[in-house]
Amino acid sequence: MSVDLADFLPAYLTEVEELLGAANTHLLALETAARQRSASPRHVRELFRALHTIKGLSAMIDVETIVSIAHWMETALRQADHAGGRLPESSIEPLMEGLRAIEQRVRQLALGKPIAEVPRALLERLEALDLNAPGRASTQTASARLELEPTLAAKLSTSEQEQLLAGVNGGRRAIRLDYVPSAERAAAGLTINTVRERLGKLAEIVKVIPVAGPTSGAGNLTFALLLLTSTEDAVLLEAVGGPPAKVTPLSSVPAEPAPAPAASALPDESSLFEEERAAAEPRRAGVLRVEVSRLDEALERLAALVVNRSKLARAVAELTAAGAPTRELVQVLQENARQLRDLRAAILHLRMVRVGDVLERMPLLLRGLRRTTGKQARLVMDVGDAELDKAVADRLLPALVHLVRNAMDHALERPDERRAAGKPEEGVVRLACHARTSGRLELTVSDDGRGVDVAAVAARAGVPVPGSSAELLELLCRPGLSTRASANATSGRGMGMDIVKRIIVDQLGGELSLETQPGKGTTFSLCVPLTITILDAFVFECAALRYAVPVSAVEEIIEVDTAHLVRPPGLGDGGVTLVERRGQAVPLVRLERLLQRDDGRAAPGPKAFVVRQRGTPVAFAVDRLLGQQEIVLRPLEDPLVQVPGVAGATDLGDGQPTLVLDLPALGAARGGAARAERPAQRGGVA
Amino acid sequence: MSTLHVVFKVAGAEYAIPASEVLQMESFTGATPVPGAPPHVAGLVQVRGRVVPVVDARARFGMPAAERTLDSRVVVGQLGTRTVGLLVDSAREVMKLAPEQLQPPPPLVAEQARGFVKAVAQLGPRLVMLIDFSRVIGEEKVHAD
Repeated sequence: MSVDLADFLPAYLTEVEELLGAANTHLLALETAARQRSASPRHVRELFRALHTIKGLSAMIDVETIVSIAHWMETALRQADHAGGRLPESSIEPLMEGLRAIEQRVRQLALGKPIAEVPRALLERLEALDLNAPGRASTQTASARLELEPTLAAKLSTSEQEQLLAGVNGGRRAIRLDYVPSAERAAAGLTINTVRERLGKLAEIVKVIPVAGPTSGAGNLTFALLLLTSTEDAVLLEAVGGPPAKVTPLSSVPAEPAPAPAASALPDESSLFEEERAAAEPRRAGVLRVEVSRLDEALERLAALVVNRSKLARAVAELTAAGAPTRELVQVLQENARQLRDLRAAILHLRMVRVGDVLERMPLLLRGLRRTTGKQARLVMDVGDAELDKAVADRLLPALVHLVRNAMDHALERPDERRAAGKPEEGVVRLACHARTSGRLELTVSDDGRGVDVAAVAARAGVPVPGSSAELLELLCRPGLSTRASANATSGRGMGMDIVKRIIVDQLGGELSLETQPGKGTTFSLCVPLTITILDAFVFECAALRYAVPVSAVEEIIEVDTAHLVRPPGLGDGGVTLVERRGQAVPLVRLERLLQRDDGRAAPGPKAFVVRQRGTPVAFAVDRLLGQQEIVLRPLEDPLVQVPGVAGATDLGDGQPTLVLDLPALGAARGGAARAERPAQRGGVA
Repeated sequence: MSTLHVVFKVAGAEYAIPASEVLQMESFTGATPVPGAPPHVAGLVQVRGRVVPVVDARARFGMPAAERTLDSRVVVGQLGTRTVGLLVDSAREVMKLAPEQLQPPPPLVAEQARGFVKAVAQLGPRLVMLIDFSRVIGEEKVHAD
């Protein structure tokens, strides 16, 4: 191959990914339509278009198997299109399989694995969908020719030209029917939309092309409808309101240049827009696709600027302290801070993806689960147009997949059980999300199933029945515990809620909660930060080192009054003490002990961060609060330094990495260990 | 063919690592300790905008800890996608070593050195130990796949 595949592959994969997403959506819509025995020409067209593009792209990089699967799917869809957008229910399954087969091969391509052959059985099933198959080969070789004027030909894709040719070879006439809109006609209910509808019954509409330009009349717009039909001209003309409409054959003499509509009216604006949209290929105007790595790079540059500003601020502060006239410098610095904030917002905005797009595959997941579990359920998505940072979205998705799968596997009852319980046979899984202020997004995954059988889960784990939903969640999130509490739940593996928790709580620094009612259903609520790359943080000092903690994780900062500390009995001096906060006893942990930097001081630090750990407030005592500032979080990826409780590192401008702590995780991971390990080692060299 | 090696000192002994595995050398101004990291991890340093973990060669080799001096260096190595620093007492020299100059370490040494020493180069009176960088920084399994 002369073209280097490696160069082209990333672009191919992103584009095909997108097209497959669209294809899935349209096929699912067609499935719904088929079940309701209604026609859906738009989805047939869109699906065809997506497949056709996939086919073209795949041919460019020589992936013959994908080309042939796509080809046979196209052929089946052409049939559906001929039938006015009606797809028999029986053909959905082979098309689904075809799409799966293409996806599978695209994945193989992405992973650099050898591409599997086309399963013979699948091709045969797809081929069987093509009713005209026997005659096809011979008609392909027939020598009909299209006579298209160049302007029209340019607007027709190869497949559309093929479609016209095939029609001619099949004995129909290929014609161009010009429809001229006018205000009077619109008033009489004749618009391009009604014209489409009427003609759809008389002919196969291959394409509608708006032709603008000066005409002999005052009008300046004509719709050229390219049709395949066996209907007589007079009938067709009647359908579009008679003259100035006219019919031009496409398979003989070239048509004359744009005909002159006599009507002196304005074009029907709304239909004009629609046609233009249809004529412009599916790519949305003004949307640019950018590789994530480039956005990362921009963020990286911004991070360098933010760090540099911190350095500058320090230098200026030193100058000021030395008595230098720095007022103007300070002003510039402030202005610079504002600009950086704006730039940060702009770049982060670029990295935002719509939650709805992230969840595009969910209906498909549910469809698959319907088949594997044999349960009836529909997915209701109410996600609005909230947006999330791409990095957060990528991590969030697997957690949501887990939860939806859980709902189908465990929560929803079988149809007969539901009937017996007086519920509709079809269960509902609902995915909802609404943005919340303070940079966090809240999502819920709920079902109207049987609810978690708390007693059964407790018995399974061999523990007392949990008293609150927080405790129940804690129990469900135990590694290895299955939510499959009931004996008659059929399907497989107990999906690990521990994975969901790890993603939401540990990786994203979010919150997870649960609400369940016997017989009514279960709702999981997730609350995640919109972005995890640049964040607002409190910087503080503890045991002579500086640390940062995300502002979003801190509920409150309190003063620790040593006189009012209460030490519960039996824990010795290493234990947790209690501090009073608005009449509530909050456990107070000495952070330096968790950080293994205990220097044997008697008193805890004078300030404390209150965070929520497993739903209850815990205070972490520190020495000194140094301020609040924007930081760039660098995750620690090396296994040597991947430890629970440390979310990453940041540079505060002194060239020395500062740890960004995840206090709830730190407390949870080391709460026990820190006590046992005393006296703590003094790690490293400060 | 002889290849370029970076030579450094730890507790009086000389070690070498192929220059192709070394990204850069940094003077050592302190590392940020990471609670819960393995004991031979001195902490994190920042190298040109990247946050890099540093392995303390003395701690790793079972030598007594020593005061850091102006000579202390961080040898920043690249292992696949990982970037890890090695804190050494000093590093001032690069030298070319030919394959025939390298001998496998005596069995006793190989055993005692837990596989850290890949080979020994004899250069007149000097003995320079060629180290296995991936073993020294630990987590061999990360490298295995």
